[in-house]
Amino acid sequence: MDLARGIDQSTSSGVAGPRAAVGTTYEGRDPGLLHRILPLVDYIEVTPETISEVKGGEVVLSDAVMAELKEVSRSVDIVLHGVSLSIGSHEGWSSGYFRLLDAFLEQIDVAWHSEHLGYTKVDGEHLGIMLAMPRTEEALDLVCERVRKIRERYPLPFLLENIVNVVPGAPGELSEAAFLNALADRTGCGLILDTYNLEVDAHNHGLDIQAFLGELKLQNVREVHVARGVEHNGFLLDVHSQLARESTIRLAQQVVRGAAGNARLVVYEFMPEATDGLGRDNIGAHLCDLRAAFAG
Amino acid sequence: MDLATHQRALLGLFRGTHRLRPDDDPYVHAVAASPDLVEARRNIFLWRVFVLERTCVLTFRLLRRRGLLAEAIEAFISGTNISPFRETQAPAFLQTVAGHPDPLAAAVARFELALLRAHEGDACAGTVDWNVDPRGVLHSLARDLPLPEPPERGWYRIAVSGRLPALFEIERLA
Repeated sequence: MDLARGIDQSTSSGVAGPRAAVGTTYEGRDPGLLHRILPLVDYIEVTPETISEVKGGEVVLSDAVMAELKEVSRSVDIVLHGVSLSIGSHEGWSSGYFRLLDAFLEQIDVAWHSEHLGYTKVDGEHLGIMLAMPRTEEALDLVCERVRKIRERYPLPFLLENIVNVVPGAPGELSEAAFLNALADRTGCGLILDTYNLEVDAHNHGLDIQAFLGELKLQNVREVHVARGVEHNGFLLDVHSQLARESTIRLAQQVVRGAAGNARLVVYEFMPEATDGLGRDNIGAHLCDLRAAFAG
Repeated sequence: MDLATHQRALLGLFRGTHRLRPDDDPYVHAVAASPDLVEARRNIFLWRVFVLERTCVLTFRLLRRRGLLAEAIEAFISGTNISPFRETQAPAFLQTVAGHPDPLAAAVARFELALLRAHEGDACAGTVDWNVDPRGVLHSLARDLPLPEPPERGWYRIAVSGRLPALFEIERLA
């Protein structure tokens, strides 16, 4: 696939293209994949939960994967991207996530860490899916207070990612962009903007992406995610099982340009379960295309 | 609608435990009637299938071959409060199936659960009694082949331990 032809990597106008480092997901236990991707990325994104295992009834980081990642961290930077904090649960977050985070940070230095702006449990009951926050002042206050606590606890940059609306969004006091702007302004927390998630919301719920990007303070975006899922029953699904589309990468380029140098990293996300279907060489070629697209 | 009410209503809709009332917020009614909810619940189910197919290989294949898979996963979703960790789902699912009324499904799940413990180094991961010869069954499941029909009857015990070279030993009892 010649993705590169369809996206902006030209400087023929004399104006530099978007510039950002490139990273991708790696969850360990696949040396063939690692060998293919490591020379092509500046960062590896690690999700602590997915390199964990149950030992003696406790969820702990896998020693084997941690040893692998220590080796990886000699050649590229690591960024952590959690999925189970549930920062938006009304009754409180999942403290178990911090145990994994602490254990990871004791062993490996990371450039920054991040989570998702949503919740996965309610009153201790797991939803089995991550839901977006209602855009109310109450929800904003709650998340801001928790971001402040995280920033006090960890002397590292902390970012939050926009997630898809699995069900129609609740009528809110704030627009989607205004909610993210206020969150970043009030806490100093950076943003991850997942441009595939924007496309999912546009497809499923009619989000006007350009209006959203026009309202969002792009200088708060520190990292951009690209990915691609599949369409089912007319819905675009947020599963990371495909190579990113041209349209997703063009949006990422737009965001990186608009962030005026603050968006330092573009991460291509895919699930380890999708690796065989995608093909390790195709993943490598995709990362090459991304490098070209964000080479400046 | 405050945040707690909002989140509890959505939890109830996702779990299928929220009975809509006329005085529920219009948003709750809108979500309940939306195709998005149906699709999202289906995705929760498929995500479990995706994870369990990879992490509980033997039990997953047995349940699928015996036409018990969908029912077992539905029971697992509704009966357990399990975190989204991929790796926590396997032991929880196997624990659930270990109590299955189908004796073969229960035996395979108990065996696979003990095997998980043995992989972690547990020296006494467990013993599992069988009323059929487990060798043919496990051979078929490991290769995703049709099960021996009918399985050869007999009393067997499998000891599972992290100290055993192959992690388990099969003994014929009678």
